[in-house]
Order: sequence, then C-alpha cells, then structure tokens
Amino acid sequence: MRAFSNANPKDLREAVAMLSQGRNASIVGGGSDLLGMVKEHLVAPDVLVNLRSIRGLDQIESQRGGIKVGGLITLDTLSRDQRIRKEYTVLAEAAEKVGTPQIRNAGTLAGNVCQRPWCWYFRNGFPCLKNGGNTCFSASGENQLHAIFGGGPSYIVHPSDTAPALIALDAQFHITGPSGERVVPASEFFQLPRVDAARENILGKDEILTAIQLPAARPGVRGTYHKVLDREAWTHAVVSAAIVLEMDQQICRSARIVLGGVAPIPWRLPKVEAMLVGQRITPELAAKAGEAAIEGAHPLAKNKYKVPLTKAVVKRTLLSLNA
Amino acid sequence: MNALKTVGHPASRVDALQRVTGKATYTGDLHITGMLYARVLRSPYPHARIRRIDTSKALALPGVKAVLTHENCDVVWGSGDTKNKRFLFNNPVRFAGDAVAAVAAVDRHVAEDAIRLIDVDYETLPFVLDPEEALKPGAVEIQPSGNLSPNNKGEQKPETYAHGNIEKGLSEADQVFEDQYSSVHLNNAQLEIRVALAQWEGDKLTVFASTQGISNCRIEIAHDLKLPLENVRVVCKYMGGGFGNKNQCHDFDLMAAMLAKKAGAPVKLEFTRKEDYVAVHGRWPTKQYYKVGVKRDGTLTAIQFRGYSGMGPYRKSSGDIAGVELYQCPNVEKLVYPVLTNMAVSANFRGPAYPQGIFGIESLMDHIAYQLKMDPIDFRMKNMTRKYHDELPYTSFGLEDCVLRGAEAFEWKKRWHAPGEGDGPIKRGVGMAMGAFGAAVGRSSAVIHLNSQGQYELHVGVTDVGTAAKTTMALIAAEELGVPLAKVSVVSGDTDVCPYSVGESGSRTTTHTGYAVIQAVKDLKQQIADKGLPQGDEIRTGSATPDPAQPKDSARYAFAAHFAEVEVDTELGHARVVKYLAAHDSGRIINPLTCTSQVKGGSTMGIGMALHEELLYDPTHGVPLNAGYYGARVMTHLDTPDIGVLFVETEDQYGPFGAKSIGESSIIPSVAAVANAIFNATGKRIKDLPITREKLLGVLA
Repeated sequence: MRAFSNANPKDLREAVAMLSQGRNASIVGGGSDLLGMVKEHLVAPDVLVNLRSIRGLDQIESQRGGIKVGGLITLDTLSRDQRIRKEYTVLAEAAEKVGTPQIRNAGTLAGNVCQRPWCWYFRNGFPCLKNGGNTCFSASGENQLHAIFGGGPSYIVHPSDTAPALIALDAQFHITGPSGERVVPASEFFQLPRVDAARENILGKDEILTAIQLPAARPGVRGTYHKVLDREAWTHAVVSAAIVLEMDQQICRSARIVLGGVAPIPWRLPKVEAMLVGQRITPELAAKAGEAAIEGAHPLAKNKYKVPLTKAVVKRTLLSLNA
Repeated sequence: MNALKTVGHPASRVDALQRVTGKATYTGDLHITGMLYARVLRSPYPHARIRRIDTSKALALPGVKAVLTHENCDVVWGSGDTKNKRFLFNNPVRFAGDAVAAVAAVDRHVAEDAIRLIDVDYETLPFVLDPEEALKPGAVEIQPSGNLSPNNKGEQKPETYAHGNIEKGLSEADQVFEDQYSSVHLNNAQLEIRVALAQWEGDKLTVFASTQGISNCRIEIAHDLKLPLENVRVVCKYMGGGFGNKNQCHDFDLMAAMLAKKAGAPVKLEFTRKEDYVAVHGRWPTKQYYKVGVKRDGTLTAIQFRGYSGMGPYRKSSGDIAGVELYQCPNVEKLVYPVLTNMAVSANFRGPAYPQGIFGIESLMDHIAYQLKMDPIDFRMKNMTRKYHDELPYTSFGLEDCVLRGAEAFEWKKRWHAPGEGDGPIKRGVGMAMGAFGAAVGRSSAVIHLNSQGQYELHVGVTDVGTAAKTTMALIAAEELGVPLAKVSVVSGDTDVCPYSVGESGSRTTTHTGYAVIQAVKDLKQQIADKGLPQGDEIRTGSATPDPAQPKDSARYAFAAHFAEVEVDTELGHARVVKYLAAHDSGRIINPLTCTSQVKGGSTMGIGMALHEELLYDPTHGVPLNAGYYGARVMTHLDTPDIGVLFVETEDQYGPFGAKSIGESSIIPSVAAVANAIFNATGKRIKDLPITREKLLGVLA
C-alpha cells in the first residue's frame, strides 16, 4: 500500500478545493471499497479527503414533501430507518442486502452508488479499460458474471444494490463541485462504457455526491428489491431487480423496473414498465413482463444463464409485490 | 460399549476462554523488539524464465534490511518431490504466485514498497493448466523429468490398484456404465493466514510458526537449512487452522529464517489473504473416468477407473483420487496420474484424495441405482465394502449402521422420491453418500508430571489445529488417571518442552498421541507404585514413546454416511441445503462436543465445495481471478444448514479407549450427498464441480 496523507475538510467547499488542487486525491467516506483498492494498488492517492470530518452529511431530512438523504449515511442506518423502511421499502431492502454487516456498518450510500466494478480482471490489475488500458478481458475471457445488456467496449456490471432502487424511486442526486451544486436525476447519473469506458458515472474528479433527494411517497406505491446471490451473503448481485409500482385498486398506475447485475449501469426496462400500466399484475402478465425483460439481451460465452435468470427474477419480483 | 468417567462426556475446550476473549496469543500476534517485517514478490506469470533481476533500487530504499532472490539464496524446500528440487525462489517460475524475491524491512509498508522496486525481466514461457493436457506428447515441460510427477520416493508412475480381472468383470456385466466427473482447485481457506516469526540467537534458530506439527516442522527446518536438530526450536502455542496446508515446514518458515539471518534481526513474514490462496496449497483438481459393470440385480462385476490430478508444478502430496474402495467388487482396476501443471500447487486439504473422488464414484453409483430402479440405500447396502479391498477385515465396522441408522434418523423413506418429481419451480430432493478414512495407529510421545499438590502436568507436542487436541489429551489423561479434568494441565506447542508428536494430519493425533498419553500415565502410576506419591518438592514423571501394535491382517478405518436434503429453485438455478444429517463411526467418541463440531465443520466445507467454491483461473493468462474469501465463495454462516450429527460407536481394540479418527471423514461424503440430492430434486446430474447456478440453469432453464 502506497503511503498517503489524510485531510479533514471543514466543509464541502474545502473538500472540493482539496480535490481540485491537482494532487492525486481520493474521496473517502466509509472507505470499505477504497481501502481495498489502495491495498491492491489499483489506485494510489496522495491524499484522502475524509468526508466524515464534515458535519451533517449523514442525515435524513424531510424536504419538499420528500426526504433528502445524506450521502454519508451508512447502509446499516439507512436500512433500519423507519421512514425509509415504510415509504421507500425498495431502498431499505437494497441497502440491507449489501455485503456483510461489517460492510454495511462502514459503507455509505454515496459510496455504494459510486462503487467501482468488481470485475475480476479489473480487481486483479489487468491493464483493462477500467485500469487505463484499451482491452476488456472479460469480452473473451471468464465472463460468467458480466453484462448481458449495454456492454461494449467494457462488459462490467454495475455493482451497486442501492443504485437500481434509487432510479426506481426517481431520486435526484445532489452533486457539489467547484462551481457549486448541481442536481441530476438518478437515471442520468450513470453512463455506459460506450460514452466513457473508464468510468461508471458523470461525477467529475473534483465533484462529490453529497445527497440524494427522494420524492414524496404517494399512497398506493409499493416497492421491493430482489437480489440473487451466489451464496447466501457477501456477493454482489448476479441479477437483481428493484421494482416500484403505484397501484390503485389493484390496477398499476405507474411502474419502475430497474435491474442490477446485468449491465454496466443500473438497467431500466421502460418497455416492460409501459406494459404494466393500466393492468392488473396477474401471473400471466408477470410472465409476459419476464419475457419482455430479456428482449435485446446479448449474452457472452459464459453468461447465457443470466437470460433465463433475469426473466425469472422480473416475473417473481413483480408477483411478490402483488401478494 | 462400557461407559467411562471422563472420556465420552462433552467437555469445553481447555483453552476456550483464552480463545474467545482474545487472550490467546497466535503467531501473528507476537512481537519481538527490533523485529523486521517481510513481504514476498511473486510471479505474475504461470511460467517464465527470469532473465535478469535487479534489486538495487529496493536495497537503496531506507529501512530495507535484506533482500533474497534465487541469486543469493539456494535453499531447497525439501518437503515433497525428491527428484526435482523446489527452491525457495525458483527460476524458471512455474505458477502465478511462485516466489521471486523476499524483502525484510523496518515495517510492512517499506517492505511492500521495496518489492515493487525490484526490477524483474521475465521471458514468458508456454504453460498448461489441465492435468490431462499436460500429459499429452508435446505438452509444455514443467520440470526436467517430465510432467508425470514423481512421488516422495522419486518414482514417476501412476498410483495404481488392481484385483481380479477387469476385462472378465466387464464382460460378465448385464450393463456397463461409463461416465466422467471433474472437480476444481479449492483453497483450504483456513482463518489464520500464513505467518512465521524467525529469531536467531547465535546459531540457534527459533521459529514461531503456524504449523500443524511442531515436531515435523522442526525436523524439516533443520533438514532444509542444514542445521543440527538441537539448534532448531519451533513454537506454536495457538494455531488458527490449516486443514492440511500447514503440514510440515513451509517456505514462509524458511524465508523468515533466511531473511532473519541475513538482516541480523528477527523477521516476521505474514502473507496476505490473496497470497494465502495462490501461493500455497489447495485441493487438487481432478478429471475422473469410470467404467462400471453391474448385474441386473445390482451386483457389481467391475470397476475401472482412470483419473488425473493437477498437482501444480511442485508435487507435495499423493495426488490420489480415492473412493472406489468403498465398494466390494471382484474386479477392480484403478489408475491415477498425478500431473504437474502451471496452476497453484495442490497438496493436503482435509481428506486430501477423498471428497472429489467420492463425488465421482458416489454420483455414478447413485446413477446406477436409479437406472436399476433401486433405492440408493438398498444399492449401497448390497454393494458397500465389507472387507478392505475385498480382502482384509476391518478392525471395527460401522458403515452399515451409519447408512441404516442415518437413513432412519433422516427419515429417508419419507423424503426420497422419484427424481425431478413435484410441481412448481421449487423442488426438493434428498441424496446420500458414504465415506471412509484411515485410522492409522502409530508413534508419538507424552510426558506427565505429578507434584505433591496432586497436580498433573501433561507435556504433548500437539499444536491443536482447531480439533481441540489439547482438550482431547487432557481428557484421555484424566480418564486413565481417574482424576477430574481440572487436575490436568496441558503444556503443548513448543519443541523445547514437549516430546515428539505426530503431525496433526491424517486425522491421527487422537490415536497416536492419545495412546502415548495412556502409556505415559501407566508409567507414572508405576513410578508412584514404586516410589510413593511425591512429597515436598518431589515430582514424579511418567513418559512413553510407544510403538503400538499394528492391526494384524486387518484394516482400521473410520466410516460415515451423510444425508442431505436440498431445495432447488429451478427458475433461479438456486440450490440450498435445507436439512443435513451426518452419521459417523469413529469408534469411541472421546469428546462428543468437539467431535460434533468437527463433523459440522467438515460437512459445511463439503457443501461449499459442492455448490460454489472454486479458485477460478483465466485460461488465456494462466492466473487465478478470484483468490480470497469474497471471490472464491467460501461458505458463510447463512449458507450453513442445521447439521444433525449421529455417532455410531463401534468397539475397536486399537487406539485410546477404541477411538478411531474423525476430522477428515467429516468432509468426505458431503459433496456427493449434496450432488445426489440435487439429482433427486431435479432429475438432472451435474458431473463437474462446483454445481453452480450457471450449470444448473444450463440444464434446467
């Protein structure tokens, strides 16, 4: 592990200034991902900008009918918050499925959203697109855990459990940079490798994801997160689904379906969402939704199983919301 | 079986409190003033010649005290292959993870910076990962003597076994079943990573080790470093697990010693978890080809087996693939090739040759039972071994009871059904498998002192690898003495104060060292009879290094049958063990509490091996991709079902109070039991481990 210094900014302005100073700086929140990457020499920051020294970044506040969740809230706190559990169930369920209790105690919401991919080629230091090279080794290598949608030139899958939930909730991301704050919809935060294969989102080097705004909970809205793991704990999603339905007398008024584990970004299914509007969620409709969910899938040599898996996960998760 | 006063009653570990309160000092916790820290540079390539290695930048880094490479260190790590030399630092390097250099520095960060400053010019060479490929003509040559790896006598030949006439047996069969199975490289994944702290005082070397046997570790360090035995001391007071991959001495013990010598200061070398996965030893991957002849009534007429084991580039252990001996059959032919490859080295891992071999044979026998429309239990009762290799009687035999009483406790008849039966996407199924493991008798030593206060101090060279060996030895001594357990304290884990004990491998410690304890107590009783109880400052001492009688014209084995019920979600490809029962004949159970823990631990490991654990290699680059607990999918608590344990105690005339062995037999049938349950649930048989979601959905979706 290369030596680095730790900086404790007093406020966001100072934190951004530290990031802009030209030194090789990394933001640290919980540090659960960053420390591992430093130890593996995947990143070699000169300075860690410690956001925990800034007060108030881990709070949940009521705002404009909805709530604003500080990016530094731990995944454990988030998953246990009564209001989140009740009104934004999909997010609480996603947060409690992350990693292990230790990771959820240290890891933060913003950190989970901005987590780097867990592709084994990237994490083992192969000179891949994510490590500054010009090859994706998974394309013709061991790609059983890789993308079936949106791949190319990189075939990573986005590793976050909370990101699909946030998109399904129509969240807004608050980003602070040198010229102040900007707010972007969750769905526009993530970007495909064909835009920039080295990165997973639009965050600039001197920008910080500070908070996430969730719109007011509406009556009849229900959501859930289903995560398929390769063992019962401590793996990233093989495939996951965050689904939020607005129901009125058993009729679906609006739907959001966002998948994890299948694409380099959280993968929304607008066509499937549209199929559900105005309908009862019957087993037949859920099965059709599953079929529609895999339209356009491009599996690689070793991840063909993700296609039927995705189909089943969408069907099951929809039906579980109807129960 | 006659009841005893202390033995046979559940007893907590004598050091449980120290272990759970953090007071136990493991090797990694040790610190000596002035101690240096070491790190190892490892090959990123599976096979490469080092053209040039330049350590000048590393040596110039402030705080660096010693650097070793193949150019200034020619120590041979002697354990294993006697034909091809395995140096501490090899050139060419033969697997991704082979040690290239080691550095000692004032702290671990400086040491790590230093290894990154070592400039190595590699000429990469072709490599081979598959053992069967490696034997083909024209394959990459990994060692000068060829890729069929020499055994510990230096002989290059397959492991063979045969009796009867295989062609005759196959021709007598009504039906011949031909099939192939495979298993992958797995890491032992023990909690304590590899660590050694070496200290020289003049020409005397002390190695604080993490070893499964202080006595063997000491003998081998002395041998490899060419030191008189009396100049080497090995200490391991608390040990954090190894499951076979810390037998004997290891390269990290030798590297720490050589760095300490060069630097003139004590050196601690601790691996990272990733190094622990790639640089040491795991379970050998196998390819297995079977041909089995059977009569219509289920009688076996022939078992022909050819197997290949991938040993990595340096052979350390047998590489055998065991299991066909579980069946009585007049015509058997077995041929196993342990082959050198450019993968991580494979050696002992809990029942080294068994879980993967039993997976093969017990899957196939299960298949045959279904094909003959027989209940798998009936098929096994008909065909299970009654004599070792159809020839030698067993000293005691509880396999029938393991199968029958296990099946009853598991409610087999109620749960077993036609394969794939049931509506809906979630299917349940049950499977079972048998296992056996040797329970050798042999030599160890023990010393016991009695003072005038009536306190007994037992000196045994065990390290207690997690098996509760310290407790077992105290129980055996207390029983033989007829005193409460609290009267006996145990001194262990230090070659300066403990006599020879067999290495804690081969599930031998209870039988070997436990027997020595009984003999030492008998000697002490004789001393007391001769000289009276000790008075004042007197101490009476009993000791023994018995050479116990070997079973005459008989074989000594522990037996087991495991039963698993799985739930398979056929749409999600998700398999989960929901009920588990393990029935074991290990002779007399010395400590039911810790024996139960052994069985639960072994079964848990086997479930992981069946369902998801693997050290996955990239075939193009020849490097492992998922080293560590996260990537290799080691079992978590949530993966572990409630495991029922049933002991079928048989009377055995050997071993302490008739105890046989337990540690390794606990994993042996588990993989096959789970695999067979998946077949019963789904009607599909996966023949290549692990039985992942990818494979399940491949046949189910």
